Amino acid sequence: MAKAGAIPFTTRWMPEMFGIGTLVVAILIFELLVQSGVVNRFIIPPPSDVFLAFERVVMEEDILGRVRETAFEMTVAGVAVVIVGIPIGALLYRYSIWRRALEDWIGALAAAPIVLAFPLFLVLFGRSSTTIIVMAFFHGLAPIILKTVEGLTATRKVLINVGRSLNMTSSQMFWKILFPSALPVIFTGIRLSWTFCLITVVGVEFLINLGGLGQLINDLAERYDLPGTYASICFVIFVSVLFFVILERIESWLQPAR
Amino acid sequence: MTSLSSDSLSARTASASLAASAPAMVIDDVVKRFGRGTEVVTAVDHVSFNVAQGEFVSVIGPSGCGKSTLFNIIGGLLGDYEGNVLIGDERISAPHPEVGMVFQEESTFPWRNVIDNVAFPLELQGVAKSERMDRAHHFIDMVGLANFEKNYPSQLSGGMKQRVSIARTLVSQPKILLMDEPFAALDEQTRLLLGDKITQIQQQLNQTTLLITHNLTEAVQLSDRIVVMTYRPGKVKRIVDIKLARPRTSDVVGSDAFGHYVAEIWNDLREEASRGMADSESAASRRGAHG
Amino acid sequence: MAATGEMTARARPVAAPVMGGEASARSAFMLRMACAVVLLGMWEILSRSGLFYGEVVPSLFKIVLAIGALLVDPVFWTNLRVTFLEVAASLAIGTLLGVMTGIVLGSNRFLMRAFEPYIYYLSPTPRIILFPIMIMWFGVGPSSKIALGALSAFFAVALSTAAGMRQIDQILIRVGRSFRATKWQMAMKIYLPAMKIPVLNGIRLGMGTAIITVLLAETKLSNQGLGYLIMQIYTRFDMPSLYGLLILVFAIAGASNAMIGRAIRE
Repeated sequence: MAKAGAIPFTTRWMPEMFGIGTLVVAILIFELLVQSGVVNRFIIPPPSDVFLAFERVVMEEDILGRVRETAFEMTVAGVAVVIVGIPIGALLYRYSIWRRALEDWIGALAAAPIVLAFPLFLVLFGRSSTTIIVMAFFHGLAPIILKTVEGLTATRKVLINVGRSLNMTSSQMFWKILFPSALPVIFTGIRLSWTFCLITVVGVEFLINLGGLGQLINDLAERYDLPGTYASICFVIFVSVLFFVILERIESWLQPAR
Repeated sequence: MTSLSSDSLSARTASASLAASAPAMVIDDVVKRFGRGTEVVTAVDHVSFNVAQGEFVSVIGPSGCGKSTLFNIIGGLLGDYEGNVLIGDERISAPHPEVGMVFQEESTFPWRNVIDNVAFPLELQGVAKSERMDRAHHFIDMVGLANFEKNYPSQLSGGMKQRVSIARTLVSQPKILLMDEPFAALDEQTRLLLGDKITQIQQQLNQTTLLITHNLTEAVQLSDRIVVMTYRPGKVKRIVDIKLARPRTSDVVGSDAFGHYVAEIWNDLREEASRGMADSESAASRRGAHG
Repeated sequence: MAATGEMTARARPVAAPVMGGEASARSAFMLRMACAVVLLGMWEILSRSGLFYGEVVPSLFKIVLAIGALLVDPVFWTNLRVTFLEVAASLAIGTLLGVMTGIVLGSNRFLMRAFEPYIYYLSPTPRIILFPIMIMWFGVGPSSKIALGALSAFFAVALSTAAGMRQIDQILIRVGRSFRATKWQMAMKIYLPAMKIPVLNGIRLGMGTAIITVLLAETKLSNQGLGYLIMQIYTRFDMPSLYGLLILVFAIAGASNAMIGRAIRE
């Protein structure tokens, strides 16, 4: 009787379950098509093989070590981007002439296909994780700078006036009004930056065949291990999606206090 | 805890009655012009009036009469003006610690809960945590938000947020409370009820208050005196004494005397408001002709 | 890289100084020029200092010469043509599929909840890792690059279209209904004009990622295209040309982005 007004679980999550169901049915259809020989199993391996390959990939390909390596590169680049980007953004806000002079360049940096310059970074830093970290750093730097400037600029005039009416010093003004007011936007910048970093780290690992998860895919593809390649791609996609979801959760968790 | 603040409050009341002869604030021949060359606009034009200790004064006028400019000058946010705004012997040219400002726009800090918002000015003064929580609590109670101390502004209504701002301004116990259309964004019923709250607090603290408003009912309901301003350039058109009995509540709105005051002031305001309207209409048609 | 949208879509308010706006615009320009001169000067000093091995930091003059040499070299133009055609094809396919998907997801809440999360969360994953699959499906030629580029563009266009569809002002739709507009009239007079900007924005983002993905795929495995040319020059260790070619590619990518940006503003 308590349930009278409540919507049953199945009805409430109908669309999501329909989505998952479609995915499962599609996988089953592929399985049938491949098993019956309609689709060449050297183009699309049977999903069951891919599923089984997960165990092999995890056991034999040192997946923990690879995750650790990618995570290490991500962490160094991600922390560096925050430590360098937020102060640059704050300085550009403070000294508006620098902002007017450089903001367009930083916008161009954000849009530039930096990943494409990997041969250049290879020459400069060698085939090492330094190359990957430096590239991820440069790719991730611009969004956080721009978002920091945007967040500080968007501070409502009346809040600044409250600070002025209380005779606040400029450092009090920054730490007690401007920065907390900009924080949600700055975190959006951090999320965008780290997304850029992850794309660069995994992409360059794949391209130059060095390091963690990106190289895993390359290795298996070069061995013509089809189920293994599919499984490793699924795994990498899973890891990056997990990363984005966690970042988004943190971001929206920071919002309700606003 | 309350003993502390009520002690200091009664001390202030006593000193206020001692100095009752000297006005709390003198506004003397204030002029403010914007722009230069042929484009000069005189926003405030030779405005003079006093505010006595414990008095509630409203400045009323149509939009474009320089009310907000006057607010910014008195609050010290606009330091460059002619004439004098004096508190005691001091000429205001920067925010004065004895003037507490409440702004028209919603101005609570969204990242702080109610009690931390209200305690903010004390935090800047370096008041110890337990004391500032006590004092903040006292004023939150006064504006009637005792049950919402841990809430964030996003969880409050517009009227509640404005009450938080008012408590935040009162907590540093300014000699003069300066408010710029604090209820402009609220609906009429909330406005009347908040008016009651303001009257009650003002009488309890004997708080010298200067309210900037364009709302006639609000001005008559709350004030001892009303300064009526003209539309561009903003001059003092007339100063009206409101001799409605105190203590007052929003019930006064229905009385004959109230209606009389409203009619009288509207008579003055109508002319100014219609000049303002004609001005903005011709500006709009000019813009239309250009684009 | 769909993430770029969140960043550029918002207007950047520049604090307008009350007075002397023109003067400070001029001094900002001077400062920018000064920065450029200092940076280029430092580069030139570094390149002549001999601190770096060989041609790692080549002289600016050599880079300019290399750009000139590339621009008169037919090899550059044939490879540019290949890449251009691949990007154009992938953008056409990705846009078509993306707009269709976007309209379906944007107009149906059920399908949106069922399928949009997949597109949304897959969109920022590094697409280049799907290249091995594209090679298996479409071979090592241009088709696999086109497929990968189309896939990249698809995500951006679909998400942007779906969002645009949902953001159409409900009041406009109600106005249309109140005038008893037919379905066709609604589509032509209300949906189409309102959808133009979000779709174009999606195409702009999609083109950005399609260019990068196609070029990266070319660097990984191909025998033609600008990405291939980059790897050729890299293996020859011809640093001035490598810098020159990357500058040209960045300029082309930037210019095509700016072109669509201008189309949106008009």
